[in-house]
Amino acid sequence: MIVPLGHVYFLAGAVFTMGLVCLVARRNLIMTLVAVEVMMNGAAIAFVAAALRWQLMGGQAFVLFILAVAAAEVSVGLALVVNLYRQTGSLDPDRYDILKE
Amino acid sequence: MTTSWLRDPSWVAATLTTWLPFISFLLIMVFTRDHRRLSGGIAVGAVTSSLAGAVFLLVRHSGDARPIHYAVRWLGAGDLYIPFGFLLDPVSLVMLSLVAAISFLVQVYSLGYMAGDPGFSRYYAFQSLFAWAMMTLSISSAMLQLYVFWELVGLSSYLLIGFWYEKFSATQAGKKAFVMTRLGDVSFFIGLLLVLLHLGNLEILEMNSPEVTAQIPSGHLTLAALLIFGGIVGKSAQFPLMTWLPDAMEGPTPVSALLHSATMVAAGVYLFVRLFPFLSHSADAMTVFLAIGTVSMLLASTMAIVSRDIKRVWAYSTISQLGFMIMGLAAGSLFSGAFHLITHAGFKALLFLCSGVWVHLYETNDVYEISGSGARRLKIPMVCLVIAAAALSGLPPLSGFFSKEAILTGLADLSNPLWLTAGLLGVFLTSYYAFRVVFILLSPRREDKKEPSHQGVGVHYWGMGGPLIILAGWTVVLGFLETPLRVFLSAGTAAHPEAAHAWLPYFSVALAASGVGMAWFEFGRRAAAQVGFVERIGPLRELFAQRWYLDHLYRGFVAVVIDRVLSRTCARNEEKVINDGIDGFCGITLRSGRLFSLLQSGKLRYNLAVMFGAFSLVALYFLLR
Repeated sequence: MIVPLGHVYFLAGAVFTMGLVCLVARRNLIMTLVAVEVMMNGAAIAFVAAALRWQLMGGQAFVLFILAVAAAEVSVGLALVVNLYRQTGSLDPDRYDILKE
Repeated sequence: MTTSWLRDPSWVAATLTTWLPFISFLLIMVFTRDHRRLSGGIAVGAVTSSLAGAVFLLVRHSGDARPIHYAVRWLGAGDLYIPFGFLLDPVSLVMLSLVAAISFLVQVYSLGYMAGDPGFSRYYAFQSLFAWAMMTLSISSAMLQLYVFWELVGLSSYLLIGFWYEKFSATQAGKKAFVMTRLGDVSFFIGLLLVLLHLGNLEILEMNSPEVTAQIPSGHLTLAALLIFGGIVGKSAQFPLMTWLPDAMEGPTPVSALLHSATMVAAGVYLFVRLFPFLSHSADAMTVFLAIGTVSMLLASTMAIVSRDIKRVWAYSTISQLGFMIMGLAAGSLFSGAFHLITHAGFKALLFLCSGVWVHLYETNDVYEISGSGARRLKIPMVCLVIAAAALSGLPPLSGFFSKEAILTGLADLSNPLWLTAGLLGVFLTSYYAFRVVFILLSPRREDKKEPSHQGVGVHYWGMGGPLIILAGWTVVLGFLETPLRVFLSAGTAAHPEAAHAWLPYFSVALAASGVGMAWFEFGRRAAAQVGFVERIGPLRELFAQRWYLDHLYRGFVAVVIDRVLSRTCARNEEKVINDGIDGFCGITLRSGRLFSLLQSGKLRYNLAVMFGAFSLVALYFLLR
């Protein structure tokens, strides 16, 4: 490998963590969806690194699966967000706390 | 087994004698409540057959050397077993006959006394219940059976004292009698358990056998004797549980005659007689019994001196005479106590029944009012009353003289002269208060004279007068049967009559006569003021009239110790400890729940953050393993 495996895993973890921070810290549902995308890409980087290390094509095939699933999920999620916006007039997830007492 | 028992006439007689009144009770309570004459007939018929059965048994077994014992094993567990059965020995047969005879006479008398009362059938049902319980108690073969019927006798006493239940004082008196005797019964039961622990069963024959000292250590024997005597104190109204008996006079007079003079309160003394060999093993306990008997006798005599209620005088007298019987028994002489029990039953019942005639006629209990209404014009009750009072005072040749002599002889045999002195003082006080009543009735004061509302007893005269005459005759005759009775009661054991104190009969008769004389001087003389020497001393009269403030003591004890200390502590425990504890626990649960609910923000972002945080901790754990 061009770089040690640990470095690639570190990159994957960093991307995942940035996605996580964006997910938790932003008060915009669209940004939540973006963050989910970023997290899935971080996982995909880890898969690619593992495929390169053990010389198995299964890892790269799984990355294609991840990309496809991400696309489908984003379309469904966006539809839900649009519906929510139409119902309540806001994209702030903190406003949807009617389950709290 | 059953067929051979049916062929035994004694067993059949004993069962019929005791159970026929119970059947009568059931029949009256269930079927014939509305038919008074039928109820009366059933009850009197049952008790007549019981009397016949008792006399039959008495005659049949009069010469037996050993007691007849029928027993059936009722409960058993390991070493312990509880038998039920009949024990027919001289003492129990005499008691059985006594109970049957007096029950019969009282029930016949009640036909006249209770006529017209709306509760007539109920009265006879309870009388039958009492007869059943008392007779079975007399011939019980085991102590647990005796205890069961002891309690049943207490129950019938409660029912009969509170017979006129619309009257609040009657229900109060019934309740007081039941609770006080129950206190004694608790200690009785603990004593029985102590004996059961050592002996394994409670057969009377076994308890009275000499081997019991080997089986029970002497400390426990004394303790058991004292505890069993607690039951006697309760039932026979001795000090300190004596104040229920005067209040029990709220019941009808025949009830007072039967229960609270002759039979039920005598059950305590009868228990003493029954367990005499057992109780006499412990000399310390016998001394305690002697002391309690003496104290009761003297206290009750003083209370009788100042009482204006004729039934109360005889009630105090009963307490006093029972104390006298206990003194005789505790002095070591079985025969004297038993003989006085028998004679006392006769003349005390007679005293009550005579008083009952006047109470029924003039509807008042007060001696002065009765005398003012012309009591002395009714010859039969008046003559019988004088005979009975003379017997109570111990004047010869009546039965009371012989039995009192027996007890005084027993007391004189003791080393300490204190007991004999107390006994003689009791003799003087007894004759004084008895003849005080007689003289008040014989010479009415001018201010009490009034015309009675109805003249003569009328149609019930012989119904009520017959038993009086029979009992009076019995009182006259019984004294001469002393020697045959002594031989009968000590059948099988050596009888040794003491003859050492020749001066005693003369001295006690002189004392009794001086008591009569003093009563005549103060009440019977033409110019007498009819105020006793004690009644002139204000504080003393108050002390005696308030029953030596025993009732006040009990009331204070209940108010301070039981109400203020015990019940208030328990109430406060329930409020503060139990209720508030549970409330506090619930409060903690609620508050901690509210605390934890702060974590529930309902916000998606926080949920996600916590979820990822937990997940990363788990991953870290697996990484570091």
